[in-house]
Amino acid sequence: MPLDTDPQTDDAALLARYARGDAAAARTLTVRLVPRVQAQAMRMLGDVAEAEDVAQEAMLRLWRIAPDWREGEAQVTTWLYRVVSNLCTDRLRKRPRSRVPLEDVAEPEDPTPSVEAKMQTDARRDAVRRALADLPERQRLAVMMRHFEGASNPEIAARLGISTEAVESLTARGKRALAQALKGQVSALGYEG
Amino acid sequence: MTLPPNRPERDTDWIDRALDDLAAMPVPDASGDLMARVLGDAEALMPPPGGVQAVRIPLWRQIVQGLGGWTAVGGLVAAAATGFVVGLGGFDTTGTDTIWSLGYGTFYEGEGALAAFGWDFEEG
Repeated sequence: MPLDTDPQTDDAALLARYARGDAAAARTLTVRLVPRVQAQAMRMLGDVAEAEDVAQEAMLRLWRIAPDWREGEAQVTTWLYRVVSNLCTDRLRKRPRSRVPLEDVAEPEDPTPSVEAKMQTDARRDAVRRALADLPERQRLAVMMRHFEGASNPEIAARLGISTEAVESLTARGKRALAQALKGQVSALGYEG
Repeated sequence: MTLPPNRPERDTDWIDRALDDLAAMPVPDASGDLMARVLGDAEALMPPPGGVQAVRIPLWRQIVQGLGGWTAVGGLVAAAATGFVVGLGGFDTTGTDTIWSLGYGTFYEGEGALAAFGWDFEEG
């Protein structure tokens, strides 16, 4: 798959070209957006096959909405970020609970990665993902944009169309809610002290 | 997102570390198969060159829409019909011309005769 052949053109303009039947615009958007979308889904789900399914579904929704897309109302990347977040949240909520409780996974004794160490890391990440999925949408988006993308408060504010103060409040409330949800598992998560 | 050094630990700092751990997990590159699937969907759903053709709306429907829809047109028709009927009878506001035109002249004659009878009676 070639690199982005049209880096000067923004996503909304490419989407408008796709809506007029421009196949090259579809290729450029695919190259540009799919890696981001897949990475976000992978972080949220921790499963390659599921992340790919979510990425495909999110892009499918983008192709469908292209003829009705109104430039200037939202950024394509923000719209996709939200779609991916919601698709992943739906999957996480339907996913059966981990077969091995976090508390039952033995703490590894030596630093060499072992099966137990991997299991503990997976269980720890799974617990955080589930807690993240239970957050209200805007808190979840703000926390994810901050931590997964390293976005600053003003950047998040611009993308979500809210004030910087609102972003600070959302992320603070989101983290408090996460701490509350995971309160009983701090030790098992390996974050105590 | 790394925490600044020498800052007192907050209640949610461990959440920052947990989220950072999730963010730092290795993510494989998007596979060629995924890219091909996405492009396949894009091609299947791609509108024809020039975009989706605007649907042609017949002139009479454009006029109806321009007037405000069927409800507005119904109101206009009712108002026009009422105006027509009122206009027909408008040349005499008492309505007697209409009654005359419908052949009720004998009624007025009878009334006139009765009035004359009254005068005759008074004069003795």
